[in-house]
Amino acid sequence: MASVFSGALQLADLDDYIAPSQECVKPIKVEKKPGKAAAKIQIEDDGSYFQINQDGGTKKLEKAKITLNDCLACSGCITSAESVLITQQSHEELYKALSFNKTAAPSEQKLIVISVSPQSRASLAVRFKMNPLETAKKLTAFLKNLGVHYVFDTTFSRNFSLLESQREFVKRFRRQTEDKRALPMLASACPGWICYAEKTHGSFIIPYISTTKSPQQVMGSLIKGYFAEQQHLTPDQIYHVTVMPCYDKKLEASRPDFFNQQHQTREVDCVITTGEVLKLMEQEGVSLSDVSAAPLDTMFSSTAEEELLGHSGGGSGGYLEHIYRYAAKDLFGIEVAEVQYKPLKNKDFQEVTLEKDGVVLLQFALAYGFRNIQNLVQKLKRGKSPYHYVEVMACPSGCLNGGGQLRAEGESSKELLQQVEQSYESVRTETPEANGSIQELYEQWLGGTASNKAGKILHTEYHAVEKMSTGFNIKW
Amino acid sequence: MARPSIKDPLALTLSCRLAAHPDSRCWFVAWSPSGALLASCGGDRSVRVWGRQGENWVCQAVLGEGHQRTVRKVAWSLCGSYLASASFDATTCIWKKTPDGFECVTTLEGHENEVKSVAWSPSGSLLATCSRDKSVWIWEVDEEDEYECVSVLNSHTQDVKHVVWHPSQELLASASYDDTVKLYREEEDDWVCFTTLEGHESTVWGLAFDGAGRRLASCSDDRTVRIWSSDEQGEPGTGVACSSTEPSWKCICTLSGYHTRTIYDVAWCRLTGAVATACGDDAIRVFEEEPLAEPQHPTFALTAHMSRAHAQDVNCVAWNPAEPGLLASCSDDGEVAFWRYQRPECC
Repeated sequence: MASVFSGALQLADLDDYIAPSQECVKPIKVEKKPGKAAAKIQIEDDGSYFQINQDGGTKKLEKAKITLNDCLACSGCITSAESVLITQQSHEELYKALSFNKTAAPSEQKLIVISVSPQSRASLAVRFKMNPLETAKKLTAFLKNLGVHYVFDTTFSRNFSLLESQREFVKRFRRQTEDKRALPMLASACPGWICYAEKTHGSFIIPYISTTKSPQQVMGSLIKGYFAEQQHLTPDQIYHVTVMPCYDKKLEASRPDFFNQQHQTREVDCVITTGEVLKLMEQEGVSLSDVSAAPLDTMFSSTAEEELLGHSGGGSGGYLEHIYRYAAKDLFGIEVAEVQYKPLKNKDFQEVTLEKDGVVLLQFALAYGFRNIQNLVQKLKRGKSPYHYVEVMACPSGCLNGGGQLRAEGESSKELLQQVEQSYESVRTETPEANGSIQELYEQWLGGTASNKAGKILHTEYHAVEKMSTGFNIKW
Repeated sequence: MARPSIKDPLALTLSCRLAAHPDSRCWFVAWSPSGALLASCGGDRSVRVWGRQGENWVCQAVLGEGHQRTVRKVAWSLCGSYLASASFDATTCIWKKTPDGFECVTTLEGHENEVKSVAWSPSGSLLATCSRDKSVWIWEVDEEDEYECVSVLNSHTQDVKHVVWHPSQELLASASYDDTVKLYREEEDDWVCFTTLEGHESTVWGLAFDGAGRRLASCSDDRTVRIWSSDEQGEPGTGVACSSTEPSWKCICTLSGYHTRTIYDVAWCRLTGAVATACGDDAIRVFEEEPLAEPQHPTFALTAHMSRAHAQDVNCVAWNPAEPGLLASCSDDGEVAFWRYQRPECC
C-alpha cells in the first residue's frame, strides 16, 4: 500500500500516551532520584516493573511513554506518529465529548462543531447510493441527533486556501529572480507530504512549500476565532471536529503551530476519518439512508439555494487549476478556457503548460503518490525541475483515494474510486472569488486581503526535523 | 525431504584465495555477465573489481569514493557496462565502465535508511532496490542514464534483505526479516505484490531463480533452503506470467538438516543446475537435483561440503555464468575465494 495511513487500524487503549514502538529510537529521560545507588528490578507476570530497594521495599516503576510531540519531533521513523494519533484522535474521543455534554453542568458544556470535507461526503454518498446533497443533509441530521450543534463544510474554508495560494504564487513568481527558492511553489494542503518533507528533506525543501494553511486549518481558525466571537464563547468552549478522507489530517491538527496557547486549545480538536464516521453509524445502529434529512447549516458551508457548491480542478482541492488560471490572467493577461493535462510517466504525474508564441510562460504539474514525490524531490535537488508550481499529494490518485476513505465492498477499488470521483464532480463549481461571504469575512474578520491579520491567520510555518544519528539501530 | 547422500570431498577444490577487503568484512560478490570480472564489496565502503591473470585473480579497480558506509551488495547490468552498489548510507550508486575504470554516474537517493540489495532486470531498463525501511523500490533508467522511481512497494512488514529478478521476465522477488518472500509484477501503471511465499520460520536472507525461471530457491535463518515452483497448469514452457490463470507458487522441496547455522546466500547455477549455499557455520555446500525424481516432487542431494571454506561466516556464493563449476565466495573474514566444483560420478 502506497499510502502511509491506509492500513486497517484498530483502536486499542485510548490515552494521551502510547508505548514507544519496538524500533523507537527516542532517548527517554529518566528522572534520577538521589540517594538510591543500587536496586533490583523485578518484572511481574502482568508485565509491570517493580524496583526492589536495598531496604527490601518495592516501588512500581513507570513504563516508558512518548507523547505525540516527541514522535513528531523525532526523525527516527516516519510512521510511529501514526499509531500515536490513532489513539489520540478517534471517533471514541468524539463520543467522550458528546457524553461529557450530556452530564456536565450547562456552563461546562461545549459547543460541538463538525466540519465535513467534500471528499468524505462523496465517499459516503457512493456507499449509501445517494447524491451529495442528500448525503450532506442526512449526515447533518445524523450528527445533530448525536448532540452535535453545527455541521459545516470545509469547501467553504477551501475558498480561503485557494485565494491565498493564488496570491502567494503570483508574489513568488514576481520575486523569482532575486529569490532562487521562490519557485517552484509546492502545495501545502497534504499533511502526509508535509510530514515527509519536514522529516526527510527538511531545510532543503521547506522554502518551496506554500505557506498557505489547508482548508482544515483555515476552518479551525474560523471556528475558534471568528465563530467563537460571534457566539460569545472562548475558543476552548468549542469542540471542533473535522471529518477527513485521510489519517494524516490528524497529524496536521496536532501540530504545535495550530495550538492556541492562551486558551490551551487546538484549532481542530479532533479529526475523524470517513471510515470512522461509518463506524459511528454502525455503533449507533443507523444506516445513513434511513435518516431523515435535516437542513444544512449555511453559515460556513458552500451552498446556494439548497445546492452544494464545489471547486473545479479535481478531488484534491483544485489548487493547480485555480493558481494556473489566476496566474495566467494576473501575470500574462491570458484567460485560460480549459486546463489541458498531459499525463507523463503515469496517471499520477501530469503536466500543464501555458505557452505563448512558442515560449513557455507557466509550467505546472500534479505529483501524486510517493513514487512521483520522490522523482520530483530528486529533480529539484539536481536543479532539473522545470516547474513553477506542483500540486503534491501523498496518496496515489489524490485525496478522494485517501487512506481514511471507505474501502471497496464487492466492487474493485478502482471502480469505487471512479464512482467517488463522479459523485464528487457532480457538484456544481464556483470560483472562490464569486463567493460573497468569503469577501465579507476578509473585511469583517481579517481586515482585508492584504492585512497582517490575514497573513497571520491564513498562513503557517514548517519546521525541519533534525536527523538523529544513533548507533543503536544498525541491522545487517 | 531430500535424503543425505555420500559427498565427495574432492567435489569442491580451492583454486585461489584473496584478501579482498582486508581488516573488514566482504559482504557480496557478483560476476559480470561474461564471467570475466568479479565485483566484491564490503565494510570498508569500497567496491573492488577482479580480473583473471593466469591462474590468479587481480584487482583491476577500486571504487572507493561512492559511499559513506558499508557497501552491502553489488550488481552488474546485463550489458556488463554498469555496476550498481547498495550501501548502508541509504544510497545506491550507479557506476559506468569506462576505458580507465569505473565512474559513478548517478547516486539514487530515497530510501529512508540502509539499502540492503540491488538488482537489474533482464531487459536492463529496470533496477530494484530494497532497504531496512521495509520497502522495495523499482527504478526505470532512460537512454541518458536518468533514473526515475516507478514504484515504491511496501508489502513487507520488516527489513527487506534481498531482491532478485526473474531471468527472462519482468518479475521481481524479495526476501525479508518478516520470514516471507514476495513476488511482484507490473499491473497497469504500477507494480503490485501478487503473491507471498510463506513457510520459512525465520529471516529469509537470499534468493535465486533457476535458469528457466520456473523455480526459486530461498535460504533462511531457519537453516533450511526451500525450493518454490510456479504452477504451470500442465503446460510446460509457458512460464509464470500467464495472463488468464493466476500463477501460483508453492514449496516443492525443503533442504533441512544440512546446515547448522543461518544460511546467508543461495546460488543456482544456470549452466549446471547445481545449488550452492553460503552458511554462518563457515561452510559452503553444493546440492544437485536427483535425476529420477518427479519435477514437482524433486529431491536434492548434497554433493559437496567444504566445512571450513572461510575462517568466518560465508556471506555469499556466486556461480560463474560462463565457466561451469567455477564458484566464488566471500566471508566476514574479508576474503574472496574461488572454487572448482566437479560433479561427483555417483550423481
